[in-house]
Amino acid sequence: MDPLNRIIIPLSRAAEAEEKLIGGKAAKLSRLLRAGFRIPDGFCITVHAYRRFIKLNRLDDKIKFELGRKSFESMRWEEIWDAALRIRSAFQTAELPTGIKDPIVKAFVQLGTEKTLAVRSTAPKEDSARASFAGLHESYVGVKGEKGLLDAVRLVWASLWSDAALLYQHELGLDPLNSSMAVVVQELVEEHISGVAFGCDPRNPKSDRAIIEAVPGLCRDLVDGVLDPSRWILKRSSGQVIETRSGEREKEKPPAPLLSADDLRQIYHALQGIETLFGWPPDVEWTGIDEQFTLLQARPVTTSEPKPRDDKAYYLTLRPGERRLKELAKRVTRELIPQLQDEGENMAAEDMSQLDDGGLAEVIDSRQRSLEKWKKIYWDDFIPFAHGVRHLATYYNDAVRPRDPYEFVGLLKGQSMISTARNDKIVDLARQLRAQPALMESLDRLTAGPDVRFDSREGLSAHMAAQPGGVELTAAFEHLLDHYMDVSYGGERVKNQPVQVLKNILEMARARKLPEASGRDLDSVSALEKKLLDAVGPDRRAEAEEVLSIGRVSWKLRDDDNLLLGRIESQFIRALNEGAERLVSAGRLQSGVEPDDKSSAVITSALRNSEGGKVVIPNEEQKPPVSSRKRSKVKPRQLIGQPAAPGLVSGRVRIIRSPKDLGDFQAGEVLVCDAIQPTMTHLVPLAGAIIERRGGMLIHGAIIAREMGIPCVNGVENAAERLEDGELVTVDGHLGIVTVGEAEFDLEVRLANVEMEKQKCNGR
Amino acid sequence: MNEIDGPLFDAELDGSEIKIDRNPDLADRIHRLVSGQPFCILCTQGQSQPYGSLIAYAFTDDLKHFFFNTQIATRKFKLLNECRRVALVIDSRCQHMDDMTRVDAVTVTGKAEQIQRGPEYQQGAEKLKARHPYLADFLDSTSTALFRIDVVRYLHVTRFQELSQWIP
Repeated sequence: MDPLNRIIIPLSRAAEAEEKLIGGKAAKLSRLLRAGFRIPDGFCITVHAYRRFIKLNRLDDKIKFELGRKSFESMRWEEIWDAALRIRSAFQTAELPTGIKDPIVKAFVQLGTEKTLAVRSTAPKEDSARASFAGLHESYVGVKGEKGLLDAVRLVWASLWSDAALLYQHELGLDPLNSSMAVVVQELVEEHISGVAFGCDPRNPKSDRAIIEAVPGLCRDLVDGVLDPSRWILKRSSGQVIETRSGEREKEKPPAPLLSADDLRQIYHALQGIETLFGWPPDVEWTGIDEQFTLLQARPVTTSEPKPRDDKAYYLTLRPGERRLKELAKRVTRELIPQLQDEGENMAAEDMSQLDDGGLAEVIDSRQRSLEKWKKIYWDDFIPFAHGVRHLATYYNDAVRPRDPYEFVGLLKGQSMISTARNDKIVDLARQLRAQPALMESLDRLTAGPDVRFDSREGLSAHMAAQPGGVELTAAFEHLLDHYMDVSYGGERVKNQPVQVLKNILEMARARKLPEASGRDLDSVSALEKKLLDAVGPDRRAEAEEVLSIGRVSWKLRDDDNLLLGRIESQFIRALNEGAERLVSAGRLQSGVEPDDKSSAVITSALRNSEGGKVVIPNEEQKPPVSSRKRSKVKPRQLIGQPAAPGLVSGRVRIIRSPKDLGDFQAGEVLVCDAIQPTMTHLVPLAGAIIERRGGMLIHGAIIAREMGIPCVNGVENAAERLEDGELVTVDGHLGIVTVGEAEFDLEVRLANVEMEKQKCNGR
Repeated sequence: MNEIDGPLFDAELDGSEIKIDRNPDLADRIHRLVSGQPFCILCTQGQSQPYGSLIAYAFTDDLKHFFFNTQIATRKFKLLNECRRVALVIDSRCQHMDDMTRVDAVTVTGKAEQIQRGPEYQQGAEKLKARHPYLADFLDSTSTALFRIDVVRYLHVTRFQELSQWIP
């Protein structure tokens, strides 16, 4: 084979190869080897293998299609993650041609097929002083056998297209289609001690400090955060130890020192030698000590700036490993959710009418603090824990290799959640109403009559109870409002919109078929579960069950946490409203003003100062949402989003922007909203189809729609602004396309008719 | 001669000359052009209104049939159901943006038939997937329709005005 097109280059000969052929990591390893450092034996799979694999399978077309569907800037992190998952799945199922496979297998045989391997990414330009892809591309440690090796190679290649890598390349202005990936395959060296070392302090590169860290066992445990390392800070100029910190490792208290003074000196000299070789202070991974001291990799030390929270890069921190997920599962399920639930219930039980104004002001402040605290916990714990579902996705896909990368979603069916319990109650109420047509008719009249308005819940309940057969239904309805609708949606309490909720129940009762109660169709769940367990085999059964369990709890809590947090917010609004009402009664505040979190300081200050005068709340004028269509000659005819749930349905648009819109929803309409919130999932069974602005295959709307067989297209930019109530749309959930309006030529026909008329007139 | 086979244009159109050509060289040239382009314009009509759509296509080696797919909520799908007479325009202008005389173009006339799911659908879909692998999900989707065009003739233009007809 032409040496320039070589698929395999042994590491012992790789120093002669160009970095663009073998990638940065392999190039550095080979130079270290030539300089006399010990590195594990292995070989490099060059970028030619990657390029041929891509070309022969036409994967570049697939990639362009995935990433070209929408502009990269307009894709949310979830959508990028989804695209990356689909690309990864395409890499996993694509054919590995013999021209690539055979040389890899031959090199593996030469290395020794009994050996356990480390299969690492080594992309050209991946570790330069300007950019570091450390941790963005995948490496697999502990790989065994030919199949394991070939699978790992595909996944390393695919990691060039991971969400993290895509975002980083975009940030650097690089075109990932011009990027390439080589793979370095090495024998896994398992020594009793491993670690990392930095030629300078990454946090303060100009200081006279070098750092060495060590853990017992594999370096991977340190890098992945499985073990807390011992750390030594040395003088960069002399190697003198200036600070020592022992790692907190279980079973060893106090831990024995992992490295002696001689060991530290050996590593320090290695850092100096590497810096001399490459010309930059290195960041190295090492294993073994003394004669066994082996370098696993070396790259320049890079420093990183912290990212603001709303940056997409924040989401890259949401890739917790199994250990972190397990810890989160424990903390979230055992501590946080019960606390959140208790706080909400306690707030709901508090009788605020007995409090004096100062006491009420205290309650408002304390509820606002509570809300802020829980919002922080939501970002810090709940959102990272939501990654449990994504972890399940990749685990399932790696094991089962399904054609549909979202097949695993079926495993999430039938989870008992607050929202499913609420939806079951709503279906029960609808069923009760169906059994009493006269009652249903009278409630229809009550809620539809133009002369009857129920601004208060009590008013509505009294009217309902007064209807023949209405007492029992009213009790159940009140229970529903108190236990399930005490949540905020768009800054309003759903509980304060009882007519809207009742209208939803009436609409459901009128529907041809009632939705089935949740928790059915568990056969399909068991079948998928069996598929997963069969694929991993008995040795990994316990591991698979744990991943499955965390994935399910993560999905369930992702729904519950939103509702429970919504309850805290609802209770804050309740206290705020109580304060505003008192000020209105005292003649200090104009009635009809709706206070929000921004005005709470004004309300509490007025409550504390009973001698004060008039209270003015700086109310931002709420402009009614204006469709961009009204201002533009451009009319959307086909909108593109993500194919979130399959199916094809035509229907009339109903845009939901606030709880006030809920009651207008009619069966068969196409539900258009910013995002399906857990507060509104009871509408989903009524919907003919769903269109959301928020994109992602694993967001609430998508998974519920998939479970119920309702077509859903999400990730449609400005969906609520670009569509109008009552407009006919066709939602293609197979392909992620929304077609707006009929395929007509009315304008052209009208113009032709006008011209014909003109001609007739001229002819006269 | 049935309706489809009838002459669609007058010979003196634009002063160009149409000559019936069964010359294998022209067939090769058309084959090269059709093979070299991934996309073409599909021309449909309905309510007396012509309509053009950019499509991805595949074709049989004898150039007697083309295949393309469309989502069923589209205007072109509706029009194809109203009138099966269609034309395709395939050209090489992208390769010769600076020299119009080097552009090859063919207008392909024919009749479009929707292929129902079954072995023929599979065959047509495979042909499309082979040229356009990214269409795999589309072709598997129940909201997609696959069409076969039975070609009546090719009208080939080169050197700006030189027009030849070829019947496959």
